[in-house]
Amino acid sequence: MKRFSLGSGAALAALLALAAPAVAQDNGEAYEFAPLPPGEGAEEVYYNCRACHSLRIVVQQGLSRDVWDEVLTWMVEKQGMYEMPAETRETVLDYLAENIGADDR
Amino acid sequence: MHKEERGIGELYSEDPERADELLWGRKTGPSRRGFLRGAGLASMGAALGATIPFHANMPAGLIPAAFAQGIDFQLEGKDPGLTVLNDRPVNIETPPHLLDDDVTPASRHFVRNNGTLPDPMPLSDWRLTIDGEVETPMELSYDDLMNDFDHVTLRLQIECGGNGRAAYDPPARGNQWTTGAIANSEWTGVRLRDILHAAGLKQSGTHTGHFSYDEHLSGNPDLDPISRGGPINKMMDPHTIIALKMNGEDIPAAHGNPCRVIAPGWPGSFSQKWLTRIWVRNQVHDGTKMTGQSYRVPRYPVAPGTDVPEEDMMFIESMPVKSLVTFPEAGTEVAAGMPFEVRGQAWAGDNEVAAVDVSFDFGATWQRADLSPPPNRYSWQRWRANLRLPMAGYYEIWARATDDEGVSQPMVVPGWNPRGYLNNQCHRIHMMAV
Ligand code: HEC
Repeated sequence: MKRFSLGSGAALAALLALAAPAVAQDNGEAYEFAPLPPGEGAEEVYYNCRACHSLRIVVQQGLSRDVWDEVLTWMVEKQGMYEMPAETRETVLDYLAENIGADDR
Repeated sequence: MHKEERGIGELYSEDPERADELLWGRKTGPSRRGFLRGAGLASMGAALGATIPFHANMPAGLIPAAFAQGIDFQLEGKDPGLTVLNDRPVNIETPPHLLDDDVTPASRHFVRNNGTLPDPMPLSDWRLTIDGEVETPMELSYDDLMNDFDHVTLRLQIECGGNGRAAYDPPARGNQWTTGAIANSEWTGVRLRDILHAAGLKQSGTHTGHFSYDEHLSGNPDLDPISRGGPINKMMDPHTIIALKMNGEDIPAAHGNPCRVIAPGWPGSFSQKWLTRIWVRNQVHDGTKMTGQSYRVPRYPVAPGTDVPEEDMMFIESMPVKSLVTFPEAGTEVAAGMPFEVRGQAWAGDNEVAAVDVSFDFGATWQRADLSPPPNRYSWQRWRANLRLPMAGYYEIWARATDDEGVSQPMVVPGWNPRGYLNNQCHRIHMMAV
């Protein structure tokens, strides 16, 4: 049996974007904090969140600020993460809620 | 396409001291050795899972060798058609058309890891400890399990409790499994009940707790990646086994070599891989991922997005009735008006599947499929149907299984729950008739 591909390029692109939030930049170069989507605080997340697991577990999500807050607490209380300084934690939380929020998935 | 995530090595090669600071919060003094006021030492130690005895000598910007290898990861022995959700920890699912085998080959079995994927332990070092509420605690070698107990060979379904999580809205945290965290391989092993009897299970033994030799992602040896267990009745079920072989071969590293639990039909987390100990307990086991909201759902239906208090959450036991269309592959073209076969697998946790129905008109009409009985309890079941798509155009093939208690799969995503478990929505594929 033959397989067909769906005609609509736009729909496919939308699907791909859903599957991989970190898409190539317009100039074709990869974002330096890929696979994180570009945004204020990406650098802090990049360096704080990849010691134990890859960032794929982070970009797979789409969570509200409250749930991200819980995840950060869980990371420290149950998963042996060091406690980030309050200011860094705030930057990280802002970034996650803003860029990997419930509406972003 | 987006670029591979950068390795720790790349980070360090660009600006080692900045990498030190960003990764660990590490600062060094004028000597550019050691840790200024201890900054970063604790976090580096935590990640390494060890103290660093000569930390005062450690040059600035040096990657701890434990992390020096790249993160580019390829799981040996896996079908390249599988979908990698994450490489560290390794989480991989199988697209539906690669689940068409009645016995899932190891190359197509999904992987759900909570911690590291450990190098197989030499058999001469490996032991299984049975202790707790038993008359005679035991330490069994692989040879003891091979030689001193009866063996059974069974086809057993293992499904991750979070299979289907990706469909929940609002999204639930965790790996975003679509439909492929299910498999049905043939496992050979010793019934756990025979081992518990040999150890003299006491009346007081009501639950088990399982332990393994994989490591927590933080590297901290005091943390278990996962340590779950279940009620003694499930563990005494003759289908719950300590598996020694997968499809007649040694169990691959990713699936728990040399030995794992299989408690079929319940969330895969009951089936501890890399097993080293079964602790028989007189209370519900309280290991990692037994508490909080992990592997639990609300006791009552909740509106999407509800914040459910922990005391209102209960353990998942049996997985629900479910099915997949494994042939043809989604997106296949067929000739209009010509008959063709559609087939798949169906399973129902502790229950048996009683019927599978298929539809090609968005559920307006249904056709009963032929359904094979399971070769043994807890195996998935093959279903087949002959369809004919009346005229050229776009179709969806839907499949719906019903279990022997009359419970069917819902057409839409079932009740939302905070961690996104138990989604057994009907599977559908798209097809074109030409
Ligand atoms: C000290 C180690 C460590 C660090 C550092 C760490 N994590 Fe985790 N994280 C874990 C472990 C362990 C898990 C559980 C993995 C599993 O069971 O699959 C986890 C799981 C997750 C998950 C999945 C949640 C779930 O319910 O399964 C998310 C999301 C996540 N981490 C985000 C983060 C973010 C964001 C950061 C940085 C702020 C971070 N992690 C830093 C150890 C860590």
